[in-house]
Amino acid sequence: MITAVDTKNKVKEYIIKNTLANVSQIEDDTLIFETGLLDSMGLLFLIEFLKEEFGVETHDEELVVENFESINSIVAFLESKR
Amino acid sequence: MNTTQVKPFSKDILHLENIEAVCDRIAEKLRKDVGQTLQRRGGVVGISGGIDSSVCLALSVKAFGPEKVTGIMLPEQDSSGDSKSLALKLAAKFGVETLEENITGALEGFGCYRRRDEAIARVVPDFDPAVDKSKIEIKQDISKNIPAIFSITVIKPDGEVISKLLPAKEYLQIVAATNFKQRTRMSMLYYHAERLHYAVIGTPNKHEVEQGFFVKYGDGGADVMPIGHLYKTQVYQLARHLGVPQEIIDRTPTTDTYTAEQTQEDFFYQLPFAEMDLIWYGWENQYHAGEVGEVMGRTAQEVENIYKSFERKKKTTEYLRMRPIF
Repeated sequence: MITAVDTKNKVKEYIIKNTLANVSQIEDDTLIFETGLLDSMGLLFLIEFLKEEFGVETHDEELVVENFESINSIVAFLESKR
Repeated sequence: MNTTQVKPFSKDILHLENIEAVCDRIAEKLRKDVGQTLQRRGGVVGISGGIDSSVCLALSVKAFGPEKVTGIMLPEQDSSGDSKSLALKLAAKFGVETLEENITGALEGFGCYRRRDEAIARVVPDFDPAVDKSKIEIKQDISKNIPAIFSITVIKPDGEVISKLLPAKEYLQIVAATNFKQRTRMSMLYYHAERLHYAVIGTPNKHEVEQGFFVKYGDGGADVMPIGHLYKTQVYQLARHLGVPQEIIDRTPTTDTYTAEQTQEDFFYQLPFAEMDLIWYGWENQYHAGEVGEVMGRTAQEVENIYKSFERKKKTTEYLRMRPIF
């Protein structure tokens, strides 16, 4: 069974790998749009990753900053969809 | 709230006081840029019946005289029907010679329509390009502080609307395919410019240049951009002063790129021009979000979020404005 910790690690690993960011730059509550880690294409690729990795589809109405602004928010969004 | 700038923020802050002098200055610069810097003897302007290209044509006539300006219409199968009649009306008003180059065949050669439609059909399986209309658009509210994500909208002949978020692969393929349109137009404009020893007069305005609403080496490919520093509402002010036909001034700006009707606001800007101009001005001149919000009837937080969206768009599209790196 996948735990919230596993989910968080996978999301974090994805963001680090795909933004070429320094691991020390990214905390669980780092604001990934505000800090410029992800832009609109980055968000689009992230949504695809969530679908492929966790089987979670994002709908129009779920595209709000509260669901994607940090690793913690993304994990909470995924948990809410389980 | 106290202003953070010398000039208090107001809805009139972008109004050009001496419009005649502004037009004269642009025409004088255009004459110098084309005649002396570029060493060309006139200009070609791609005319679409839109406000930006119309103002550029009028300014070119002011700069070079009508006999040294050629207006080129570049329709393709998805172009709006009234583009040609408006472009002809414009050219007649300013006494400019026109040419029509239908680029549908060239676009078919590139596979523009086929590649675009294949990508749409992967997202909307019952999409029928022969009868359905399609467009891509941003549906999020710009004041909600999340990067823009595109959706595909398909409109069936019976009016049924199907809208889905675009996956990255399909979004990129649709944009790459439709960008053939602007790049083909650019190639054709350069053909005529070189044939006549003219310059290509680019038509992007300030928002298109700075927010990246243009195609690199497409409509962004030009020798000179006379309205590249003007806000959209200022372009309208110039249009009225220069005598651009009223139907063109009254027409809602569209992308004229997708088969379904699509305004530039739906496609990209997410704000009406009048509001976008003022908030952009506030952002680039570091006006406090609260002061701008008070004038615009928005909360400081909403304006702050729109500022962030501008910042993101400018940063994301930096690549479009870059020259090749060497």
